[in-house]
Amino acid sequence: MGALWILYRQRLRRDRWQVTVWVLSIGMLALFAVAAIAKTFGDDATRAQVLQLATAAPAILLLRGLPRGPGLDSFTFFEIFAFLGVLAGLMNTFLAVRHTRAEEESGRGEMIAATAAGRWAPLGATVLHGAVVNILVSIATALGFMAGGLDPAGSLVAGFATGAVGFAFLGVGLLASEFFSTSRGANGISSALVMVGYLLRGFGDATGQVGPDGTTMTAAWPSWISPIGWGQQTFAYTGNRWWPLLLPLALGVACTAIVVAIMARRDVGASVFAGRSGRADARPWLRGSFSLALRLQQGAIIGWCIGGLATGLLTGSLGSAIQSSITSNPQITAVLRGMIEAQGTSMTQLLVAALFEVAGILAAACGLQAVLRLRQEEVAGTAEPVVAESVSRMRWLGSFIGLGAVSVVLVMAFTALGAWLSLVASGDTSSAVGDVWQTAVDQLPAALIYLALPAAVFVVWPRATIPAGWALLGIGVVLGIYGGMLGLDQKLRDLSPFTHTPVTTSTGTDWSGGFWMLSIAAVLTALALAAVRRREVGTA
Amino acid sequence: MFVVMDTVIQTVDLHKNFGRVKALDGLDLEVHEGEIHGFLGPNGAGKTTTLRILLGLARASSGSATVLGMHPWADAVELHRRVASIPGDVSLWPNLSGGEAIDLLSRLRDGGVDQATYKERKHHLCELFDFDPSKKGRAYSKGNRQKVALISALVMDAELYLLDEPTSGLDPLMEAVFTREIRRIAHENGVTVLLSSHILSEVEQLADRVSIIRAGRIVDGGTLDALRHLTRTEISFAQDSVDTHALDTLSQVHDLTVADGRVKFGADSDRVHEVLPLLGSLRVKGLLVAPPSLEELFLRHYGDTVTPPARQEEDDGGTHHRRHRAAPAGA
Repeated sequence: MGALWILYRQRLRRDRWQVTVWVLSIGMLALFAVAAIAKTFGDDATRAQVLQLATAAPAILLLRGLPRGPGLDSFTFFEIFAFLGVLAGLMNTFLAVRHTRAEEESGRGEMIAATAAGRWAPLGATVLHGAVVNILVSIATALGFMAGGLDPAGSLVAGFATGAVGFAFLGVGLLASEFFSTSRGANGISSALVMVGYLLRGFGDATGQVGPDGTTMTAAWPSWISPIGWGQQTFAYTGNRWWPLLLPLALGVACTAIVVAIMARRDVGASVFAGRSGRADARPWLRGSFSLALRLQQGAIIGWCIGGLATGLLTGSLGSAIQSSITSNPQITAVLRGMIEAQGTSMTQLLVAALFEVAGILAAACGLQAVLRLRQEEVAGTAEPVVAESVSRMRWLGSFIGLGAVSVVLVMAFTALGAWLSLVASGDTSSAVGDVWQTAVDQLPAALIYLALPAAVFVVWPRATIPAGWALLGIGVVLGIYGGMLGLDQKLRDLSPFTHTPVTTSTGTDWSGGFWMLSIAAVLTALALAAVRRREVGTA
Repeated sequence: MFVVMDTVIQTVDLHKNFGRVKALDGLDLEVHEGEIHGFLGPNGAGKTTTLRILLGLARASSGSATVLGMHPWADAVELHRRVASIPGDVSLWPNLSGGEAIDLLSRLRDGGVDQATYKERKHHLCELFDFDPSKKGRAYSKGNRQKVALISALVMDAELYLLDEPTSGLDPLMEAVFTREIRRIAHENGVTVLLSSHILSEVEQLADRVSIIRAGRIVDGGTLDALRHLTRTEISFAQDSVDTHALDTLSQVHDLTVADGRVKFGADSDRVHEVLPLLGSLRVKGLLVAPPSLEELFLRHYGDTVTPPARQEEDDGGTHHRRHRAAPAGA
């Protein structure tokens, strides 16, 4: 048996559950999407109406895709593909980092490289593993669509588009692993790049050219610099073009080639950005468990705040871009604008609501990370010396939850600041500009749930903390933000905190859901704090 | 067995820079076939960096390194088939058992041992090291993680063993087992061992020859006897009413002091036995004999603070410190 094959099998062995869950979730989501859309938007006329609404108010497109006609199959592709692309992207960046940088960081990579496997077999096995997983994702997605009754040829295109997007991000994850000395850094930057890919295509789709009947659209250039955008360009079901998939595949191969060039020169365990040396003396403020939490999370918080600021800044620039694309198609928009205004929501408010939903997820993720850090600290053994000092377990837990709350507020503050600045700069004078601050506050209750819930899990079932934390956030996003478009049952959607996020419209804000969530978060936090006094700090 | 004086490891003017830090600064190391070669140096001297270059895990900034006649960076895979290595800090896959990790690492080394022999050896080593291979990686203590590396290095045949502080985290019992196993393979199979350590006693038990590294270059080397010549053993006993005058006159005794009710002095390590009869006749109580530590060796012979002239040795290399070495012995 060659080293490559042995290492490939070891990767399969390590990932057998994780990859199975990812692949099945993606496939099930495809199937589920078809079923839900067929149920909610039953006929071509309804779907055409939805598409016309979307092309007239392109803010909606940001979270969906590129309209290519009202057929059930192309409409499903429009609704769900970008989200499938994000999932495939995240699955691949995590996979790439897990088997390269994380291995080197832990020293296991060095043990492997000291055997006859050498420096190259681990990379080869990771690429092979990733490629096979992406083929599985492609097949699962295609089967999901086919099982939902969509055209088989188009389903194959859609499936392999998902896998090809995944392969591009496999390369991105491998490349990020060359640059950063920690898996945390590599995961952070490559997940951010997946989100950039998503937003770029959102920007490109929202500012594209609307077709004559308002149900099709040609994407603007930003979609063409995003792997997810390339996947959309296959026009699955309507065009069935295979050639755009060469682009993500080429990106994956190009990234891998750069990785090879870097690895040929670097030591095992080294990275392009060398770990900087730190301060010789601690800053005066580093003197307790809260300041320790802040010190540990400061890099992550800054990163998420930049993400929030960027999302906010998008509001104004996208707003003005949309204004111009609307004025270019006056007949349809005149009618549809009336429809939207009649619902008491202006174009800017719609845009702010859509983008702040994304920012709300960022804020929740940032807060969640602070709480998950508790578990990482515990496993690494760095929690023990802290609670061995005069810090009670309750205070230790409380510090990280408290820091999580602070980071949630910071991310939303930067989002609102970005939105306010860009709206003012774009010359928008409507009341919606002032509403951005209120809308930012609206996102807080749901994000706070994502502090309290994982904290409770951490106390009760420590080992599940990290997977459960991200899974709960993922489920919340699917049910709450995509649930509406997927036509999910309201009872199911009500399970997600994001469903209950207060929405600010011209007529005011309904905060009843917000107050409920705040109460739940407070109760869960109190329970976690009380229960942690009875729990030992260990590593198991 | 016959010792053939073939060179297994040779480095010439090896340099390794990490940014502005010179981890290796002109390292010349030579290890011959069939010998257990001790590689001694304090923390941060460049021991691990040297071993990583010899394994082809790191690339030298300049200079040359040859291992088993191969270039370690370019021929890493070919080389690793003939080399077993043990790192000083072992990390395991959290959801793979210790036994699985051993199997994986051994299969990757591909040492050409058939399945039945392999199983038997693995079982034997697990018993020898009192290791339970069925626990998950996350559940092992530091010492038990270290055993995974020890077992997977010893379970296959190799020509050369590169050991980087291999016993760190092991209890004294297991250290003894490890020492015995290394001695066994060295004698039975005539393999070559490069043993890096900062613990002098560990090296003393095993090594035929030693090289001492400091600040990225070899500052001394030779047989263990020569090394013993360099060191002093610390001896102390309760003062009571012992007349220490007789000790003062012995040439083997240095720096005799009386403090806190105890008499302390240093004796040349290779001449301790010459002092003992006198101590016996003095009927001393609470006798403590402390073997020389590496730290003491460094402080005495290469330390910047203890012997200011040692600073110069970085400029004129070998000649100066050899002269310097003779000084305390003859004092």
